[in-house]
Amino acid sequence: MSAKLEIRNLVKRFGGLVATNDVSFTVEPGQSIGLIGPNGAGKTTIFSQIMGEHQQSSGDILIDENEISRLSTPQRILAGVSRTYQVPRPFSDMSVAENIRVGLTPDSIWQMITRGPNPDRELELAESVGLAEEQLARLPSELSMGDLRKLEMARTLATAPRMMLLDEVFAGLTVNEIAVISKLVQSMRDDGMTFLIVSHDLKALEPLVDEAIAINQGQLIAEGSYSDVMADKAVRASYLGAE
Amino acid sequence: MGLRWHHFALWGLFAVTLFVLPEFVSRGTLRTLIFANFLAIFAISWDTLSGRTGYISFGHPFLIGIGAYTTAILTKRFDVAMEISIPIAVIATMVGGLIVLLPALRIKGSYFALVTLAMMELIYQLVQVIRPDLTGGTRGMSGLPTLTRGAVNGYYMSVSLMLAIALTTWLVMRTRLGTALSAIGMNEEAVSGSGLSVTKLKMAAFLFSAFIAGLGGAVYIHYLGSIAPRALFDINFVFTIIVAALIGGAGTTVGPIAGAFFLTFLLEYLRPYLPGAERYMVYSGLALILYMAQPKGMWELFFQGIAKFDRLGRRE
Ligand SMILES: Nc1ncnc2c1ncn2[C@@H]1O[C@H](COP(=O)(O)OP(=O)(O)OP(=O)(O)O)[C@@H](O)[C@H]1O
Ligand SMILES: [Mg+2]
Repeated sequence: MSAKLEIRNLVKRFGGLVATNDVSFTVEPGQSIGLIGPNGAGKTTIFSQIMGEHQQSSGDILIDENEISRLSTPQRILAGVSRTYQVPRPFSDMSVAENIRVGLTPDSIWQMITRGPNPDRELELAESVGLAEEQLARLPSELSMGDLRKLEMARTLATAPRMMLLDEVFAGLTVNEIAVISKLVQSMRDDGMTFLIVSHDLKALEPLVDEAIAINQGQLIAEGSYSDVMADKAVRASYLGAE
Repeated sequence: MGLRWHHFALWGLFAVTLFVLPEFVSRGTLRTLIFANFLAIFAISWDTLSGRTGYISFGHPFLIGIGAYTTAILTKRFDVAMEISIPIAVIATMVGGLIVLLPALRIKGSYFALVTLAMMELIYQLVQVIRPDLTGGTRGMSGLPTLTRGAVNGYYMSVSLMLAIALTTWLVMRTRLGTALSAIGMNEEAVSGSGLSVTKLKMAAFLFSAFIAGLGGAVYIHYLGSIAPRALFDINFVFTIIVAALIGGAGTTVGPIAGAFFLTFLLEYLRPYLPGAERYMVYSGLALILYMAQPKGMWELFFQGIAKFDRLGRRE
C-alpha cells in the first residue's frame, strides 16, 4: 500500500540560480522523513518537482520504482503522491465541503456529471482533520489559519494518496491545532502512509519523523537520524547563517 | 444534487411568465424580447467558458459565426434541409472552434483573450475574401429559409430554445463538473493539485460553450432569414455578450439571462435619444458602475436585497 519515493541527482535551475543542486534521497514505503533547511534552501522547489508543477532540469524522480518525470500532475496524484501548499490558497468562493469535493472528484468529465458528490465522505474527511460539521458550509474567508491548514490537509487526503508531502503544515497554528495535526499525521503513519514533511517548527517535527534530511542552497548537507542531523555542524551553521 | 422542489417551481414560474408574455406586449416589444433571448443564449455560452474558468473569450462571434455560416451556406447554396444543416453547423462549431482554439486553451490570462479576439477578426476577413460566391462576401446572405413566421412564433421558438439551454446548463453546472470549472477560475494550480486535468476541463467547458454558441448562431440566422457579417463580427456585439454576462452575474446561469434582458431593453430605450454608437458608451459606463458596486453582478445584488428584506421582516 505505502508508496516509495526515490530522487536521483535532481537539479533545478531558475536562470542562473540553482534551486536544487544534485539532490538524491529515498523515502522507503511507510517511512516519514523531515526535510529541513533555512528559508530559500529549496524545500518547496523539491515538492514542486515531485508533483510536476516544475519540471526538473535534470535527474530522476521515481515512485515505486517507476520514473514519473514525464507524467502530468494529475497522473502523479493517481500514482499515489499528493502535496499540501505552504500558503493555503483554497477555492475562495466555495464552501469547505466544496473545497474537499474538488479533491474527491474523479478525473473523468463523464463521472463528474453523472455521479453526484459524496457528502458523507466529505464530512468524514473534514472530521478526520479536526474540522467540525458546522464548518462545512463556511467560506474559507471565515476560517482561521489553523482551519485553513486543516482544509488543505483534507483536500489533499481526498485524493487518496499513499505518500504525502506536507509543506509547513504547522506554520501559523496554535499549540492545540499543532497537536491535532500531529495526531492525524501519527495515525496516518500507523496506517502505513509515507511522509516527506517540511517544517520550520522543529519541535513539532521531531516526533513525526523517522529520519531527517537537511538542505542548504539547494544542496543536501546532512542526512540520517533526526538527532544526528540536528547535531551536524553544517546544519547548525546554515541555520545560524540564515537567521 | 441539492435539487429542491422550489428550484423547479422557480424555473416553472419563469417559463410560464415568459410564455404568457405575448398576450400582454406589443409586436415591437416582442421583437426586442426575441433578441434578448438570443443574447441570453450567447451570454450563457460565454459564461460556461469564461465566467466559470476565468479564461476570457473575446471571440464568441467567431464560434457563433461558424454555426451561422455553416447552416447558411448549406441551406442556401446546397439546398440542405435545416433539420440536417443545423446539427451539422453545431458540430462544425465544436470541431472548428476546437482546432483553432485548442492551442489557445493552453495559454493563460490575457493572451487567451487576445488570441480569441484575433480569431474573430480572422474569420471576418476570411468570409469576405475566400469564396464570396459561397459566403456572400461583405454583403452576407439573405433569403435564407426561416424556422418560423411572425413575431409571436419567433418569440416562442427563441424562448423555448433559451429555456432549454438555460435549464440544461444550470443542471450541468450544478454537478461536480460545474464545481471543478469554477475551481479553475479560483486557483488553477490547486485544481491539478487535486488530481484533475485542467486542460481536459477547459476543453469540456469550451465544447459545451461552442455547442451553445453554434446552436444559437444557427437558429438565430434562420430566425432572421439573413446573415450580415458586419453586424456579427462587430466588436460591439462581443462587448454586449460579455457585459450581459458580467452585469447579470458571471459564473451563474440566471445571471447572464437577467443581464441579457436588462441590456437589450436598455439599448432599445436609449435608441431614440442616442441613435448611434454612443449608446454603447452609456451602457459601458453603466455596466462599469454596476460592476464596481457588485462584481458578482445584479443577481448577487438581488440576493442581497432579499436577504436584507428578510432581516427587516424578522426584526418586526
Ligand atoms: N518559480 C521560481 N522562479 C525563480 N526562482 C524561484 C522560483 N521558485 C523558487 N525560486 C527560488 O528558489 C530558491 C528556493 O526556493 P524554495 O521556495 O524552494 O525555498 P524553501 O526552502 O521552500 O524556502 P521557505 O522556507 O522560505 O519556504 C529561492 O532562492 C527562491 O527564490
Ligand atoms: Mg517553502
